[in-house]
Amino acid sequence: MSDAVGSAGEIALRVDSVTKSFRIHSERANSLKQFIASGGRNRYEEFLALQDVSLDVQVGEAVGIIGHNGSGKSTLLKCMAKILTPESGTITVNKRMAALLELGAGFHPELSGRDNVFLNAAILGMARKEIADRFDEIVAFSGLEQFIDSPVKTYSSGMYVRLAFAVAINVDPDMLLIDEILAVGDISFQQKCMEKFVQFRNEGRTLVLVTHDSGSVRHFCDRAIWLDHGQIRASGPPADVIDEYNEVMLNADRAEDGSMRRGDGPVRVTGVEVLVGGVDAPSVRTGDDVVFRIRFEADKPVEQPVFALKIATLAGVEVTAPSTRDAGDVPDTVAGVGHVDLRVDALPLLPGPHVLHTEVTGWGRTHVFDHLQNARSFDVHAGDSPETDGLVTFRPSWTWTGDGVSQRRSTP
Amino acid sequence: MSLRTAVAHRNLLYLLTLKELRTRYRKSILGWAWSLLNPLSQMMIFSVIFLYVFKAEPPVGEKSGLEVFPLYFLSGLLPFQFFQISVTAAIGSVQGGASLIKKVAFPHEQLVLSIVFAQLITAGIELAVLAVAFLIFGHMVLPWLIPMLMLMALVTLFTTGVALFLSAANVFFHDINYLWGIGAQILFYSSPIIYVTSIIEVDALRTAINLGPTGAFVQASQNILYDGIWPSFARWTQVALYSVSVFAFGAWAFNRMSPRFAEEL
Repeated sequence: MSDAVGSAGEIALRVDSVTKSFRIHSERANSLKQFIASGGRNRYEEFLALQDVSLDVQVGEAVGIIGHNGSGKSTLLKCMAKILTPESGTITVNKRMAALLELGAGFHPELSGRDNVFLNAAILGMARKEIADRFDEIVAFSGLEQFIDSPVKTYSSGMYVRLAFAVAINVDPDMLLIDEILAVGDISFQQKCMEKFVQFRNEGRTLVLVTHDSGSVRHFCDRAIWLDHGQIRASGPPADVIDEYNEVMLNADRAEDGSMRRGDGPVRVTGVEVLVGGVDAPSVRTGDDVVFRIRFEADKPVEQPVFALKIATLAGVEVTAPSTRDAGDVPDTVAGVGHVDLRVDALPLLPGPHVLHTEVTGWGRTHVFDHLQNARSFDVHAGDSPETDGLVTFRPSWTWTGDGVSQRRSTP
Repeated sequence: MSLRTAVAHRNLLYLLTLKELRTRYRKSILGWAWSLLNPLSQMMIFSVIFLYVFKAEPPVGEKSGLEVFPLYFLSGLLPFQFFQISVTAAIGSVQGGASLIKKVAFPHEQLVLSIVFAQLITAGIELAVLAVAFLIFGHMVLPWLIPMLMLMALVTLFTTGVALFLSAANVFFHDINYLWGIGAQILFYSSPIIYVTSIIEVDALRTAINLGPTGAFVQASQNILYDGIWPSFARWTQVALYSVSVFAFGAWAFNRMSPRFAEEL
C-alpha cells in the first residue's frame, strides 16, 4: 500500500487477513420444536462475504471502498466498526473511531431531543462530560434550538436526521467510517455536512467511505479499494481504480446482460457514436458541431419509444439529459435496425472526460425497454472557449459600468 | 472493550436506565404515581383475599411477633416480583434493540442491565411502601432495611444472570419467551410466597423448596422483613452461591453469543 497520499506513515486501522462468512439458512429453526425436529442441526449454507482481506489505512488518509452490490464492502465496514465479528483474522483500530452506518439509530421517539442527544452520543461512546461540553455545539449545528425540548416523534424526518447527524459528527472521532455519503436534509444542511467532512479531512483525520457511487470516491478520497466477491481486486489512486472498475463492470455486463444494462424491452441500443464532421471521434472540442448517433435494433415493432441520452462528467455529475419526447419527436412505431441522431451545434461542454448513458422507455417513461449505463465515454478538449471552470460555457459577455473603470485591456 | 470505552459506556448504562424509567409512564395521566399505586393496590387486594377469602393462618413473626398474612406474603413477593418482572422485560430487550445492534458497536449487555436496574428502582419504591405498612402494624422495620438491601444486591446479581442468558438465547430461539412464562410460574409456586413451608407434609418436597434458588431468597427476605431476624449463615451462603454462579454463567453465555447478534437479528 505504498500509494497512500499525505500520510504520516502511522497506521490508523489494520485489517489482517479477515474472513467472514454468513450462514444462509434454507430452513431457519426459529423455535425449539424445529430445532429438535431437525436433530439439533440448523441446515444452512455458508456464504463467504470476505475472503482473506488485508489492508492498512494510514492516519490522515481518506479511503474509498467501492464494489458492486454483494461485493462484501458493507460487511467489511461493519467488521471495521466491530459490529460484526470475523471468523478469522484481526482488525486493529489505533484511533478513536466513529461509524456512521445509520443516523439516529437508538433515538427514542418519546424522549425529547435533548435526552436523545445524550443517549445517542452515549451509544456512540461519548462520556457524559464530553456530551455536556459539546451539547450547545451539537444543537447549533442541527439548527433545532427551538425544538430541542420537544419529543423527537414530533420532528419531521428532515429534523430527525439533522439532529442525528449533528450528534454523530460531533463525537469528534479521529477516524470516521461512513456507509454512503449521507445525503440528508435540505441543501444548506447538506452543504454544512460536506464542509464538516472537508474540515475533517483537512484536520488530518482518517476517513473510510464505503459507497457504490464511484464519483464521490473520485472527489473525496486519496485511495480507492475495489472489493469484488469478498476479495480486494485493486487498490490505488481513485482515478485508476475507478476507471478499471467501470470498464470491467461495463464489459461484464455487455457480455452477460447484467446490472449495468437493464430493461426488458425488444428495443436495444447497440452503440453510440460521437460524430464530428461525420467521423466517429474519441475526443471533441468545445464549440464543435457534434452529432450523437444512437444505434438501435428492435426485434419486433415497438410503439412510441422514447430515446434519451444523458451526458455526464466522469465524476458522475449529469450535465444534460435530453429525450426525444421532450423534443416532441417520437415515432409511432420503431422496428428493425436504425439510428437516431442528436445534433448539438457549438458544443458548450468544457474540457474534461465525459460519459454517455442511454435509455429507451415507453411513452410514460416508467417502462424501461433498455437502459445502458456508461454506453461510451469521450473526451472534450479545449476549443473555442477560454473558460476552464464549471461544466459548460454559456458563451457569455461582460459589460463594465462605473466612473472609475479604466479603459479595458484585452487579455491574450 | 478497552477501559476507556468501558468507562464511556457506564454513562450509556445510566442513560438507558433513565430512558427505561422516563418512558415507562409516558402518556399516562398519573405518571410516576403509578409506581406507588401499583404496590398499594396489590397490598390492598391481597389483604382482602388473605384476610377474608382464604383466611390463611398467618405465621408468627419470630421476633416481630407479627401475625398478618398479607405482610408475610408481600415480604416474599417483593424480591420475587423484582426477579420475575425484570427477566420478563429483559428477554425481549436484545431482540428489541436489533436496529441498534446492527448499526452501532456497543456493549450489548447494557440493554439487559438497564432494564434490571430500572426494575430495581421500582422495587425500591415498593420496599418503601411496604416499610410504611410494617410501621403501621407496629413493627419497627427500619433497621432491617440494611440487610434487605444486601439481600437485594444478591438477588440483582441472580436476576441479571438469568436475564442475560435468556435474552441472548431468545435471539436464536423465540420460544424462550413462552418457556419463561411457564418457568416463572413453576418458580413462583415452588417458592413459599403464598404459603408457609411448615404446612407441607411431604419432607422431600419441603427440602426441594428450601433448596430452590428463588425459595432461598424469598425465605431470606421473609426472615429479614417479617420475622425481624437475620437469615442463617447457611441461608446467606446458599443465596450468595446461587447468585454468583448464575450471574457468572449468564455473563459467560451472553458474551459467547453476543458477537453473533448482529447477523442473527
